Amino acid sequence: MEIVNSFPNKRGTILVENVVFIILNLVFLGILILFIMKQGSGAVVLEQSYAKQIALLVDSAKPGMKISLNMKEAIELAEKNNVLDKMILVNGNIVTVKLSEKGGHSYSFFNDVEATAYRDQNNPDLYVFIIN
Amino acid sequence: MINKKGTDKIISIYWFVILIIVAGGIFAMVSVFYGSPYDVRAIEAELLTNKIADCLSYGGGLDKELFIDADVLKGFKENFLELCKINFNVEEKFENEPQYYLKIGVFAIDSLNTPAVSLVEGNRNLVASCNVQEDKEFEKLAKCNKRKLYSTLNDQQYLIEILSIVKKTQENVK
Repeated sequence: MEIVNSFPNKRGTILVENVVFIILNLVFLGILILFIMKQGSGAVVLEQSYAKQIALLVDSAKPGMKISLNMKEAIELAEKNNVLDKMILVNGNIVTVKLSEKGGHSYSFFNDVEATAYRDQNNPDLYVFIIN
Repeated sequence: MINKKGTDKIISIYWFVILIIVAGGIFAMVSVFYGSPYDVRAIEAELLTNKIADCLSYGGGLDKELFIDADVLKGFKENFLELCKINFNVEEKFENEPQYYLKIGVFAIDSLNTPAVSLVEGNRNLVASCNVQEDKEFEKLAKCNKRKLYSTLNDQQYLIEILSIVKKTQENVK
C-alpha cells in the first residue's frame, strides 16, 4: 500500500504564512504608534499646553516668586524650527508660546503682576519665570 | 492550491478593509482627542477665587485697608481690582465681551440676609451659566467657582461669599 502525501510542506507553509501575517501586523501597529506619538508632540498641541500652563502658574504666583518650568520638549521643537529666541513672550497679561514659524498660542492671566521669562543657564531644559 | 490559505489572508480585500477601518478609527480618535483644546477654565475660576480670598482675608482677618473707612465697611468698592492686583484684560479677540465675572458678598454673622458689603465686577451675563455648568450639553457656557469663608475684624465675625466665573469658551472648548 502506497501512502500519498497530499499536503506537501504543510508545516513550513503555515510557519511562513504566520510569520508574514505577524510582521505585517507589527508594521501596521508601528505606523499607528508613530502617528499617535507625532500627534502628541506636535507644535500646536505643545503651544497650547505650555501657554495655558504658564498662564495658570502666573495666576497662582505671588510677587517675588521665581518659578522653574521644565520645557524640554518645547525647547527641542523650537530649536528645530529656529524660533528659540522668540519661544516665550509675555506682553502685559498675555503669554504667547511660539514653537513654529507660523504658529503661536496666546493665553491671558488675570494676576496683575509683571512676569519675565528666561532660559535657565545652568539647566537648559528649564525656563525661569520671575514674578514681580 | 498550495499556499491558498496564506495568500488569501495576506492579500484578501477583506483584510485591507479591516486595516483601513481600524486605521481610520484610530486616526479619528486621535484627531478628536488632540483637536480638542485643554479646558482650564474650572482651574482658572478656582485660582481667581483663591486670589480674591487671599486679598480680602489673609490669615483669617479681614484686610483693614480694603474695608475700613471711618468704621464703615465700604472701602474696597473703589479700585477693588487694582487693590487686589487683578487684571481682567484679555486677548484682542475677546475684547468685545468681558470674559470674567466676580461677585463678593460680606455678611456680618448676626445678619446673614443682608450683605454688609457687596461688589460685582465683570460680565453679568455669565451668571446664568452657573446653574447648568455640570450638564455636558452646556459645557460651552462659562465655568463658575463659588466659595464661602469666615473672617474676623475687631471681634466681629463675617461670612464672605465669593463667586468667580470664567468664560473663555473659544480657547477651551471645541
